[in-house]
Amino acid sequence: QTTWDMPTPYPATNFHTENIQQFANDVASATAGQLKITVHPGGALFKGPEIKRAVQAGQAQIGELLISSLANEDAMYALDTVPFLATSYAESAKLWSVSRSAVEARLAKHGLKLLFTVPWPPQGIYSKSAVAAMGDFKNMKIRSYSPTVARMIELMGGQPVTVQAADLTQALATGVVSANITSSSTGYDSKSWEQLSHYYDVQAWLPKNMVFVSQKVFDGLDAGTREALLKAAAAAETRGWQVSEEKTAWYVDQLKKNGMQVLPPSDALRADLKKVGDTMTAEWLERAGADGKSVLDAYRAAQ
Amino acid sequence: MRTTLDTLYRLAGALAAVGMIATLVMVTTGIVTRPLGIYLRGTDDYAGYAMAACGFLALAYTFKHGEHIRVTLLIDRIGGSVQRVLQWVALLIGTGVSGALAWYSLRLAWQSHAFGDISQGVDATPLWIPQLALAIGATVFLIAMLDDLVMTTLGRPCARLANAGQEPARME
Amino acid sequence: MDLMVAGLLLLVMLVLLASGVWIGLSLIAVGALGMLMFTSRAPGDGMAVAIWGIGSSWTLTALPLFLWMGEVLFRTKLSENMFRGLAPWVERLPGRLLHANILGCTLFAAVSGSSAATCATIGKINLPELERRGYPTSLALGTLAGAGTLGLLIPPSIIMIVYGVSADVSIAKLFIGGVLPGLLLAGLFMGWVIVWSLLNPDKIPAGEGRTAFIDKLRASWGLMPVVLLIGAVLGSIYTGVATATEAAALGVIGAFIIAAAQGSLTRESFFASLMGATRLYCMIGLILGGSAFLTLAMGYIGLPRHLAEWISGLGLSTGWLLVALTVFFILLGCFLDGISVVVLTMAVLLPTIQTAGIDPLWFGVFVVVVVEMAQITPPVGFNLFVLQAMTGRQITEVARYALPYFLLMCAAVICLYTFPGLVTWLPGKMIG
Ligand code: NA
Ligand code: NA
Repeated sequence: QTTWDMPTPYPATNFHTENIQQFANDVASATAGQLKITVHPGGALFKGPEIKRAVQAGQAQIGELLISSLANEDAMYALDTVPFLATSYAESAKLWSVSRSAVEARLAKHGLKLLFTVPWPPQGIYSKSAVAAMGDFKNMKIRSYSPTVARMIELMGGQPVTVQAADLTQALATGVVSANITSSSTGYDSKSWEQLSHYYDVQAWLPKNMVFVSQKVFDGLDAGTREALLKAAAAAETRGWQVSEEKTAWYVDQLKKNGMQVLPPSDALRADLKKVGDTMTAEWLERAGADGKSVLDAYRAAQ
Repeated sequence: MRTTLDTLYRLAGALAAVGMIATLVMVTTGIVTRPLGIYLRGTDDYAGYAMAACGFLALAYTFKHGEHIRVTLLIDRIGGSVQRVLQWVALLIGTGVSGALAWYSLRLAWQSHAFGDISQGVDATPLWIPQLALAIGATVFLIAMLDDLVMTTLGRPCARLANAGQEPARME
Repeated sequence: MDLMVAGLLLLVMLVLLASGVWIGLSLIAVGALGMLMFTSRAPGDGMAVAIWGIGSSWTLTALPLFLWMGEVLFRTKLSENMFRGLAPWVERLPGRLLHANILGCTLFAAVSGSSAATCATIGKINLPELERRGYPTSLALGTLAGAGTLGLLIPPSIIMIVYGVSADVSIAKLFIGGVLPGLLLAGLFMGWVIVWSLLNPDKIPAGEGRTAFIDKLRASWGLMPVVLLIGAVLGSIYTGVATATEAAALGVIGAFIIAAAQGSLTRESFFASLMGATRLYCMIGLILGGSAFLTLAMGYIGLPRHLAEWISGLGLSTGWLLVALTVFFILLGCFLDGISVVVLTMAVLLPTIQTAGIDPLWFGVFVVVVVEMAQITPPVGFNLFVLQAMTGRQITEVARYALPYFLLMCAAVICLYTFPGLVTWLPGKMIG
């Protein structure tokens, strides 16, 4: 009997974690208990930024991570956060199908094997005041947590402000920042209606979490167990994409129910945001080089 | 030898103090630049690294001031040779643990370099650089432990850094 | 099996601590031994990752800065002034200046998110003053250990943020929910000081006599710098100038301004405060690092998870469930710090809490009070460590002085159970 430790960054009640728990149960029953995966949610074993190296160095055998958190390492990891490139589940699935092998190749260089990915609901803009046009973002303090988000805020004319997750609620309540870019699910989980009044469903991008395993540990399994693991992973991917899409409407409903003004972006704002997206796509291409170009060409051809 | 070692501990302590100042400067910069509309990347991450430098580099310096705390109830109660043996055992265990800490801290920085591990924040710092503070601090801590272990083995008193020019911070 | 593992690790820890091994290193040794004996994982690399992780984390930066602020304030005339300012007001209460300890901690708790920083700062300022005036050490240290823990319950609070994130509860409501229980605890502590002083009237030094109201006000003018400092730190948080973590930096700068205004900011006092704060932080940091690694080891062994699963499986009534959880948290709190206790157990316990129909907001405040107890229970209690470092007394002695306050916290838990409105009433007044 083999036991694996699986650190994950998000709380036990998050739909990603629930999906992973289901995956672990499936693996256990498919292998008749021969492979037991212990999920450690909420950063209980290793915190988000430590999970990749923990699997690389053998302290954990399998782990979960937001793909774009590795954006500093390689531009390919940032592809699913290029704004307004893929803004629906269908587009996101297409983008993933053309970029999957490139991401897998990069992970393989670090001795990691990708098992499956699950997207977050589309990213929208939460703010304290109405935003009719791009000009309304002028000098607005918007929370930034990654280089991509910071760049997007700059292009929108706003002022990126780094706020750590632990400080976010208070920062929003007191006006350290007055807007935030995140998904409807995170907005629901963090009860954002307590600090913010407007949600613009701009569907900027759908970031994905990935579950990966140490290649060495994977190769150490017998053929039957490997097959069972991959089968459960494929099922988890299908299920995860489905749940994420189904829950999106529910999350947005919950925002409304709690008194948040949920609005589509105005046509002018949508057009201006698209320009920001085009600029950032061009910048991404510059960083990602030839590999990036072939992935992007394939995506455009598929559309 | 004594002077060299004491200088090493003091130097590490001074660098740690620089880390404390840098923590203050980084956090303050983050506060001050915000209303001015200036966006400096990664002041919060740098504050974390500066704090790490402060805490880890000061390990030996604090130890040599006798300020890492422990329960000395038993050691104080029993006297004579048994006390010396117990003191020696505590130092031996301490040396073992700080030895492991030093070794694995060096490995941490080395692995980060080998993996090309980069901070996931906006600072994008190669992590082996700030992790050197832990590696160096833990190594100097091990030296300080060995220093005391050797002195106790030889039956000589352990050297403590003089606390000159400082008002008593203690209640007694 | 789990009981045997727990018992064995407990025994090893007690032996290591009793033989005088440094506390942070003992925690590392117990964690490593536990992993070697009860898991198939190697402890070394995980240890370095855990210690690096906590030592470089943004949320912790408030701790060294608050400690530095305390060191700066300690070297100003503020300590004298704080007493001169508070003294006339508490002069007629039995226990006199001991109440200044409790009130000082309560005030400072509104600035600081941590228990250790609250205890260290007020201790640095108050202990020498109380000692000079001849107050009994047992009460001076006990009130400080107990009231220092209010740093966790009175907002801002780091542990409430951690709980709010893992239990999916509004952090703003948790913050507000902690206010009344915090004041209740401060009141209980003051009540105990009054009772003790009435029973031992000869042990409390004589007061300085009655003061006219106008003189009281004049003496209170000396409190102005403290009030301004608290105003600056709190004000910066509530007006959005700084986050709760960043506000500590403004505290340090404010302390320097006060010191400069009073003419006590010299080259010597600057360096003395800097080196003092560096060593104090390093001392606490080593223990925090050891605790972080022990937490990792416990995560691998699965001990807290198994115990939490076991309690969940007992099928207890709400009342007995809470009794069992209180005992469980107090036991864990003896060895782990509060944040680790929350992170390690919440995933397993939360469904049980919800099934039992317990309000997660109420439960959060309950957990914080129980975690406060953990700060003053040996062998691992951070307020005990701070006071041991400050006074050079044995941790067992400090723990004995802190015992009445531990019992008062138990009483507070019963109060919260009987009157849940203490927690839920204020947050209910919030919009949303
Ligand atoms: Na507080
Ligand atoms: Na404790």
